[in-house]
Amino acid sequence: MNAENMDCMTTIGEYRFPTKDAEKKFFGNWLIYIAWENHLMFCAPFCLPLPTSLPFGAFIRDVLPQLYGEHPEFEQIDWQRVRWYESNEEFLPDFGKSLQQHGFGHKTLIRFETPSLEGSRSQIDSKKMAF
Amino acid sequence: MDKPVKKKKLGLKPRYSAMTRGLSWDTTYQDMDKVFPYDQFEGIKIHDWDKWEDPFRLTMEAYWKYQGEKDKKLYAVIDAFAQNNGHLGISDARYVNALKLFIQGVSPLEYYAHRGFAHAGRHFTGAGVRVAAQMQSIDELRHYQTQAHTISHYNRHFNGMHDSVKWFDRMWYLAVPKSFFEDAYSSGPFEFLTAVSFSFEYVLTNLLFVPFMSGAAHNGDMATVTFGFSAQSDESRHMTLGIECIKFMLEQDPDNVPIVQRWMDKWFWRGYRLLTLVAMMQDYMLPKRVMSWKEAWEMYAESNGGALFKDLARYGIRPPKGWDDACEGKDHISHQAWGTFYQYSHAAAFHTWVPNADEMQWLNEKYPDSFDRHYRGRLEHWDKLQKKDERWFNQHLPMLCQVCQIPMVFTEPGDPTQISFRETQYEDNKYHFCSDHCKEIFSHEPRKYVQAWLPVHQIYQGSCYPDDINPESPGDSPVREVLRYYGVVGGQDNGDFNASQDRRNFDAALGKKVV
Repeated sequence: MNAENMDCMTTIGEYRFPTKDAEKKFFGNWLIYIAWENHLMFCAPFCLPLPTSLPFGAFIRDVLPQLYGEHPEFEQIDWQRVRWYESNEEFLPDFGKSLQQHGFGHKTLIRFETPSLEGSRSQIDSKKMAF
Repeated sequence: MDKPVKKKKLGLKPRYSAMTRGLSWDTTYQDMDKVFPYDQFEGIKIHDWDKWEDPFRLTMEAYWKYQGEKDKKLYAVIDAFAQNNGHLGISDARYVNALKLFIQGVSPLEYYAHRGFAHAGRHFTGAGVRVAAQMQSIDELRHYQTQAHTISHYNRHFNGMHDSVKWFDRMWYLAVPKSFFEDAYSSGPFEFLTAVSFSFEYVLTNLLFVPFMSGAAHNGDMATVTFGFSAQSDESRHMTLGIECIKFMLEQDPDNVPIVQRWMDKWFWRGYRLLTLVAMMQDYMLPKRVMSWKEAWEMYAESNGGALFKDLARYGIRPPKGWDDACEGKDHISHQAWGTFYQYSHAAAFHTWVPNADEMQWLNEKYPDSFDRHYRGRLEHWDKLQKKDERWFNQHLPMLCQVCQIPMVFTEPGDPTQISFRETQYEDNKYHFCSDHCKEIFSHEPRKYVQAWLPVHQIYQGSCYPDDINPESPGDSPVREVLRYYGVVGGQDNGDFNASQDRRNFDAALGKKVV
């Protein structure tokens, strides 16, 4: 057990049930969570079932525009400058390698930051979209 | 023939005693612990059940009489409301969406409370607390009934209310109240009372009922005001039960203190997260506004709740851990929630809209530190799109918190530009949370929360499609199929208010020009 889980549950008997969202329940896909940092027009990060073999390049080319394309700043993203994080750990993506080859897993959270496109961090008087 | 002996009538107090605790007995054929098997496993130690002070002295006989009177009055008002087409006297058809939220998300909790208190009313060893819980159980059933009856008049004239019971079991945002209560009533009886009677009824209930009921009064909905009044007199009894139960546990044994403290931490936070829906209703859904969520929070939580926790300090109880973060959130959560429902309105069962210029001005006045800086921009952007006939709906499903089940919309305390992420690994799986407090709730009982029925994950597992759909390939519009499973009529029960049948019908009935 992870050190930060201090299970102090009291029960009337044996209490053990399978996790509801085990990897095998998603037809061979992983659930991947995706967050464009500081772009809060989209109220929350997204959750998508994605094939483990999906190359990172295809993830950027085919998946992200569907999710975020409607944001006025999306078209201006310079993908070479984007900074990527798996939860809080920064990583350098290889566009040719798959999600699996990046070492991701079921319920991985991928966050990305777009320098100079600051979304909700923009000053509202700078005529940028502050959301 | 013997002359019947006329018995002297008992006074109020002995009569109460005879008709409640006097009807209880200690079992001898079976061990008492076997008859009441559920009130020890939580670790709460009770040495003397007789020390329980009955918070209200009401016999069953008096209870029926009193509630019967109240019901007579309520149903007279409901009849008059229906005969006079009272629904046409409300401020604006947008208001009805607050009622939809109520019948969808709040009334089912009354029914859950009925079940939970029925269970508690059977399983406490002490007769005093059993009687109190049994009466509350009946109250809650009655609240559900009066709410369903009152709102049924609106159901004849507006969409979004015709299948609320089914929706409660199926729809994504209703999983928030549903999972809250299922968490409470699947715990032991002491935790249930701490969750519902104390944290919810005592600490937070004013934040639920006052906004809905005064919102109804301000918006011309006398029927709802009346069921509110009818329930309110019961609520004061329920609150007393909550505080009495807490004091009883704390006074019975010092070992109870840390257990009760952990429950307070948990249930304060769970209740606070649930009230996000109320915050949104208050700031965005009432055409005539009463007070802002922030003002209500300051009055009912910060000042009243602050005094309460000062009072409990003598038992070694401190304010709940999430207290400061909850106070910080008062500037943000209503705006974050409305933005969520605005963009997922095509997947809900009520209407949303962009507030008009006057309403935005009001929001700015009430939220000078947050509204213009963080929330106005996106609303104006959406408004512009809508004026170009491009009303924006978010077509992809959001990430949810494993515990509160709310989409991960909440921002980092102190930084409203940054979504707050927390996660943990348990056994072979990763779990994500919206806050330190939801994460801690999970960490204390991971075996419970790994079972959470998260609506988004369930859709992807194929659990939320009608029988004629293959979950592995649900076709060109999975959302359409999910709505079919929910039993929601897309574009009629949901979507933007301005394009709604509700608006057209209401305007037509008032003789306004129909756009």
